Amino acid sequence: METPLYLEERSLVKRFSGPLPILLNTLFVLTLFYVSWWIFQDPRGIMRMYTPYVGYMWCRWLLVIMIWIAYIFDFWPFSRSWLKNTHPVLKGVILTTLTVVLFMIVLKGFFETILGEYAIAYFSPERLTKEGIVEFYALEYSAQAILMFAAIASWLSPAWVVAMESSPWDKLAQPVKGFSILMFTFFISVIVYFVAFHSHMAILFDPWQKFAAITPPWWEDFAGTVHGNFNIAWIMCCTVIVWMHETIWERYPFSMIETPWLRRVASFFGIIVIAVALSFFLYFAQELVWGEAIRGTRRDASPDWRWLHVGEMAIFWLLPALYMHFYMKNGFNAYSKVMNVFLRTVASIAGAVVLYYVYYKTAHLFLGTQEGFSHPQQFPMIPLIWLINIMLINYWFMDGWPGWRLAEASEKAPITHVSYERVALSGSFYRGVAGGTLAGVALYFVIVYLIPFMGSALIIFK
Amino acid sequence: MSTEQTTRRDFLKGAVTGLGFGTMATMGIFSYSPMRSIFLPEIERKMADFGACKSVKITNISETSWFDNATLMGDMKGAGGLLVDQYLYNWPPFGDGSGLAKGSYERGIAKIKHLLPHNLEEAWKIVKANSIHPDNAGGFAALIEIERLDGVKKKYLLDSGWSYEWMDKAFKREGIDKMLANNEIEALIISHEHFDHFWGLPVTMKYAPNIKIIIPDGFYKEGLQYIKDSGHKGELVVHKKGKNDIEPGLCTYTFDVPIISRVFGEQSIFANVKDKGLVSISGCCHQGIIQFITTAKNELKYDNDKMHGIYGGLHISPFDDWDPKYDDLVIALGGWGFDIIGCNHCTGLLTAEKFIRAGYPVVKGTAQHRSKSHAYLGNGDTLTFG
Repeated sequence: METPLYLEERSLVKRFSGPLPILLNTLFVLTLFYVSWWIFQDPRGIMRMYTPYVGYMWCRWLLVIMIWIAYIFDFWPFSRSWLKNTHPVLKGVILTTLTVVLFMIVLKGFFETILGEYAIAYFSPERLTKEGIVEFYALEYSAQAILMFAAIASWLSPAWVVAMESSPWDKLAQPVKGFSILMFTFFISVIVYFVAFHSHMAILFDPWQKFAAITPPWWEDFAGTVHGNFNIAWIMCCTVIVWMHETIWERYPFSMIETPWLRRVASFFGIIVIAVALSFFLYFAQELVWGEAIRGTRRDASPDWRWLHVGEMAIFWLLPALYMHFYMKNGFNAYSKVMNVFLRTVASIAGAVVLYYVYYKTAHLFLGTQEGFSHPQQFPMIPLIWLINIMLINYWFMDGWPGWRLAEASEKAPITHVSYERVALSGSFYRGVAGGTLAGVALYFVIVYLIPFMGSALIIFK
Repeated sequence: MSTEQTTRRDFLKGAVTGLGFGTMATMGIFSYSPMRSIFLPEIERKMADFGACKSVKITNISETSWFDNATLMGDMKGAGGLLVDQYLYNWPPFGDGSGLAKGSYERGIAKIKHLLPHNLEEAWKIVKANSIHPDNAGGFAALIEIERLDGVKKKYLLDSGWSYEWMDKAFKREGIDKMLANNEIEALIISHEHFDHFWGLPVTMKYAPNIKIIIPDGFYKEGLQYIKDSGHKGELVVHKKGKNDIEPGLCTYTFDVPIISRVFGEQSIFANVKDKGLVSISGCCHQGIIQFITTAKNELKYDNDKMHGIYGGLHISPFDDWDPKYDDLVIALGGWGFDIIGCNHCTGLLTAEKFIRAGYPVVKGTAQHRSKSHAYLGNGDTLTFG
């Protein structure tokens, strides 16, 4: 039988009554975010890693490594008793340090040395510098390639656990299970990387490396750009949908499928289909507000930035959804699962719109970024993912300290392991689906009709 | 629970599930299909008439903003990247001796303010002693001579470069010093606040402190103060976003564009040359050349409805860097049908070479006065449209 993950098995209880735990953790997370942002990322701060790609690479990879630790390896080699009995702050420090050390090994050992020195030059900044690229851009190019790998891994690694339910290795013990999933997801990440990003990297250099990669890239005519941001768009949406599936959606609607292999395959590919649909919609939404993209323009008028912004908008959605999941027990729990999922989705989208507005109105005042939607060095994904990382450290590694703590055995807290509920697939249900589908089509066109008005009503920059 | 209640609940569950499915399915099928164009508004060209001129002659006073790219990028890397505030770099003329990325406008200007604008030689000695890589500074400036339809000629200076030493020599080489001193130049148009276009301002002030200065909206307080500290006594005009007329056949267009090194806003210039078409003149064109000419197409009326020429920096690969989105630009520019492309400065050598390879009508340069390549218009080269 499959052993539940530590994150599913543990139960968290509030240390204080009322909204105090939420306020306390929000304050804690935001403080940690801003202090760490200033130390590591801020262009006015100490280490100034927001160059932008070096800082971007770090925040993407820290996210991936945390997923490996918590989801793929289920905190192996740390024992359950260590996880339960160690003070959350100490645990947070140790596990975060481990995350950083593991990434340094992956960065220096795998990417820059094994790949960069013996296989593909653009993974190694030293080699690029030797070949005549200015040191600053050698670092940026290399970081860009490495972070693109992380973008894929941050989708596939959790997807294999939450959608494919770790199959076919679900019944194995750690660390065999962890290494099996890691190796396999790493393998398919490599394939996706070559298909989605290698061509992008190949045309970074002059002349285009046409004997080493497909140039121009295969997506040029479809996406209206040769830039790899087209793939960033749908891959970022995949990452976001995986987490929606795992958190506020409680794996609905795929949890209705009782046959395990069918549920797993449907979940895995369903996430991709939803993500692609979302990426097309978010691109269209930009056209509705800003007009059609024009190839060869720069910034917010260009197709490559519009595709990037699709991924950015998706991350704006992920943040409130995760916050609601971590600190508000998903927010809505009073109704049937499907109704709860619906309400959570609506609430998280509303949260995303508010966050988007507030971010662009204010971020330049305190993050050291530039005012405006688009800028060569304006990547909202960096601060947003950095904040998500801090939330993950707090929720995964620190058991929600200071507002929450692990429940004692006697407290009999509810088990949070996902259940695959039976839904009565009656005639009424199917009639509802048919009617709802038609309403969904209508809703889509209502949204499309309203978006230009929303764009006009919420003018961020005149 | 009654059967009726169960039926209603099942229906509701199905309806909400269907709602999500229907919305998501339509998103996937419709959103990126050709059918979506029915929701996109048609762009109505405004065709604003800003007159016409007989010809425009541009003299490249200096396009060499810095002499060694690796040195400049080494400084940027050491300071923390492209987002770091330019006034913090400790680059000339605001060096205060505290080292890379530790500078400030206030401390830097305090060392030389008393010498501006008439004792630039002494000021530059102090600057050299206190700044990071002062000899790497060059600058961008161009002289625009417009011939009106009645034959009268008017001169405008676009930008004032960076290094006092280099720009003063460049001004003397092209006779700009005398033109300024004789009040032959109508105005100094500053394209944007970047160090290589704006920080050489005292060199213009040395010869014409009363000249009208036109800046785009978005200057930071340090930049506004520098105009005063440079010894400017004349009129200061701030161009708001959009079209701003200069004279018949010549206007600037200001874009609210965030730019690296904490700079905001750039204005570039349009000229309508009689019987030829539109000429686009830019300092750096951070808004993007295709954005710039698309704006002209949507907003302005010009002869033959034709894009005739380009001059200036196009800010594509200024640091010898590359990005696939620049390939989009190279590919797309061909569709606009320009007759003459005179590029240099932050266009980047690689971009100019890609333009040439693509068969675009790029005007070659003489590669003199420290310009590095024949692939673009170099220092001292001239180009006439019309």
